[in-house]
Amino acid sequence: MKKTITLVLFLGIVAAISGLCISLVNDITSPLITENEIASEKTNLELMFPGATFETIDYTGDDESILGIYEVVDTGYVVKVEGYGYSSTPIVALIGFDYDITVLDVIILSNQETNGYGSRCFEDSFIDTAYVGKAIDEEVDMLSGATLTSTAMKNMIDSARTALSN
Amino acid sequence: MWNNFKNGFVKENPVFGLYLGMCSALAISTSLNNAIGMGLCVTLVLICSNILVSLIRKITPDEIRIPVYIVIIASLVTVVEMFVHAYMPELYTSLGVFLSLIVVNCIILGRAEAFASKNGVLSSAVDGLGMGLGYTFALFLISFVREFLANMAITFYNPFNAEQILFSFGIEALEPFKISLFSSSVGAFFTFACFAALFSIIRKNMKKKEEAK
Repeated sequence: MKKTITLVLFLGIVAAISGLCISLVNDITSPLITENEIASEKTNLELMFPGATFETIDYTGDDESILGIYEVVDTGYVVKVEGYGYSSTPIVALIGFDYDITVLDVIILSNQETNGYGSRCFEDSFIDTAYVGKAIDEEVDMLSGATLTSTAMKNMIDSARTALSN
Repeated sequence: MWNNFKNGFVKENPVFGLYLGMCSALAISTSLNNAIGMGLCVTLVLICSNILVSLIRKITPDEIRIPVYIVIIASLVTVVEMFVHAYMPELYTSLGVFLSLIVVNCIILGRAEAFASKNGVLSSAVDGLGMGLGYTFALFLISFVREFLANMAITFYNPFNAEQILFSFGIEALEPFKISLFSSSVGAFFTFACFAALFSIIRKNMKKKEEAK
């Protein structure tokens, strides 16, 4: 019995000391880590709103397609969202909104949609007519011949809207 | 002690001699930066864990020594991982999960159990340094061959600032002969097998020489 208690105590003490060290290091590094994350995302965010100030908003919902939400000070929000179209590789996009959750801009960061079909959804002329300027209760346009890709885009915009309105 | 240190490179090279820690060695040796970054992280963890294990070797109860070692190693790896994440974000992204998997790298637990738990602090530290650098050396060889064959060029950037390239060289004439196979895992196995054979020949020759003496 006494032996067991010694063993438990020893392991407990070792674990406690380790935990203490880790939490100390975490205190030092965690602010730097968040800073880095914003900095690496910032090059993308700058594409949409050059020169603006960005702040990270913690997303607490359980929609897994939302990759991150940023507030653009005095302008609105940017949501980083992913969705599946025709390809098994997800489409990753940044969607910019103003404070009334009207779409301001859409930037595709990566996609593997079929060239000439799905990829037409990402052309500037289509983005400008189909997505930009749509208020929260307006449906975005679909594109015939690119049903899967434009459905994916619609779903991505919808989940971004839902995430923001909560 | 010098022999201890030297052993890690050829005779008891963890990757090519003891065949330990191969999983990470094969997976992350796609570029020189990854290899050296990973190698130095492992070396750091190895030295610290050897020192700590050796320090507490007299008071560690025999029944729970393995869990104690694991707690120590896991905490060290977490600490190293957090520092890498904070100061070398590029390296952190390219190493991905393999950085945290240093915990289960058998070199570290192996050295704690086989060496540090029986030897003094200083020689344990030297053993850790030798083994760690041996691992780094092995990763360096594999990644050098792989990166070169896959790109016909080698780039090494400053891990603290990815935009600063420390050195790079390439042979443009060979550009059309790039073998992209070597950037995938198949290439890792090929390279590994060739080096393992080479090291085995060297070891055999060393043995013969020793016997002749």
